[in-house]
Order: sequence, then C-alpha cells, then structure tokens
Amino acid sequence: MAQTRTKSPTARRGSRAIGARKRPAKVAITLRLDADRVRQLQAIAAAENRSLTNYVETALLRDLARHDEADRVITLYAAPATTPRIRPEDVLRAEGESDAAYAERQALLVELWSIPDSA
Amino acid sequence: MAPGAFVRVRFPTREKPRRPGLLHIGYVLGATAHEVMLAYTTSQPWPPGMKLPAGARIVDAGEAARLNQSSAFLMRLDILAKLPAAKAWFPDIDQPRQGIVAIAPAELQAELVRLAVNLARRRRELIQMRGP
Repeated sequence: MAQTRTKSPTARRGSRAIGARKRPAKVAITLRLDADRVRQLQAIAAAENRSLTNYVETALLRDLARHDEADRVITLYAAPATTPRIRPEDVLRAEGESDAAYAERQALLVELWSIPDSA
Repeated sequence: MAPGAFVRVRFPTREKPRRPGLLHIGYVLGATAHEVMLAYTTSQPWPPGMKLPAGARIVDAGEAARLNQSSAFLMRLDILAKLPAAKAWFPDIDQPRQGIVAIAPAELQAELVRLAVNLARRRRELIQMRGP
C-alpha cells in the first residue's frame, strides 16, 4: 500500500508567499514494489534519461489520460433537474417505427439516460 | 418532441454545460414526454487529415438538402445533451412546428441508433475494463 505525505508550502525556506505559487504542492508517496520490478523500472527510466520518480509519474499520467479517453467515448450534458433514469415505456415511439426498431431505441435511450453528466 | 427530428435547440457548451448555449440544429435521438436526448450537429468543417471521432457521421450537401439544411454538416453521436422540453432550451417549442426543420427518414434513424448503440457498447466495455 502506498503512503502519502504532503509537503507544506511554508516549510521551504525562501519560498514565495502563499498564494503566489502557481501550482499546488506535490504530494510525496511511499510506494512498495518488488525489488526486481524496481530494478526493471530503474533500467527503463535510465534508458529514457529520466529519474525513477519522473518515469513512474509519466506512466501514471499516461494511464490517467487513457481513463479520460474512456470517459470521452460519450460526452453527456445533463440540464439541471433532468431525470437520472427512465423506463423503456417512457420512450416515445417514432411515427411508423417498427416494433424491432422501437425496442432497439428504447434499450439505447434507457442506457444513455443513465450516463452521468460529463460536465 | 418527435424522435428522429432535427430541431433548433440551444445546445449546451463545454464552457457553460448547465445553461442554454448558442442556437444549433440538434438531432433528437429519443425523447420522453418531458425530456429530450439530443445529439450535437455542426456545419464547421472537420480539420483535414484529422481522424473523425467514433461517433461522427458526415451528412453531405445532397443529404443535407433533403433534410432542409443548406450545407453539409457533421453529426456527433458522441456529444449528447439531456434537456427538458422547455422554451429555455427549445426557443420555438411553442410554435406549430416546434422548431423542427426536418425528420430523418427511417433508414437514417435506424443507422444513427446503431451508431449510438455501438458507442454505448464501447463505453460499457471501457468501463468494465476500468472496474475493480
């Protein structure tokens, strides 16, 4: 399990006044990994001319970006006070729509309705 | 609001997602008695050489004309809005045509439902991948 500790902005000598810092302080974490794995990661980091910390951070940022991409498959803006879920029978039928097409539209709409707001 | 309709709507924007945005033509993917699920459309040309998003469907000038629209446009089934059927979002809702500019033919409606179903499936798979 990883442990965390935050470095206070005031703890640094000569640091700028609070509020003048543009980026929030980084949080230090303790990460326990197998020794073999650490050697492997160090070798990759060295080959890429990075510190191990920078390599691990970059890998995590890459993974976060992939997760964001997953969220972006569908972006849904939900207006305030709209319902979070609907029943299939709530879905209006298009004029002349076949039973099969209506069933497909109902299933789709029930699913889309339940997607959380992306805003 | 009729499913399959292209309708004038104040589609929300990323900057102000909870407020009515600029007037656009939206596509009614489906609706209930009180709320509407719309897909975004834009006549802004897609940058050449850039891959189209998975939920995009180009409507060329000929097809656009048959849908009472003056130029080619891009439908984005991956950008949706769930809106109340209210004047704040649909400024012409109290007019006889409710701001509807055209109704997509059944084949186009079926194609767009299939495209949205595929997107929803892709999203589901990604969410499962992200599970515990």
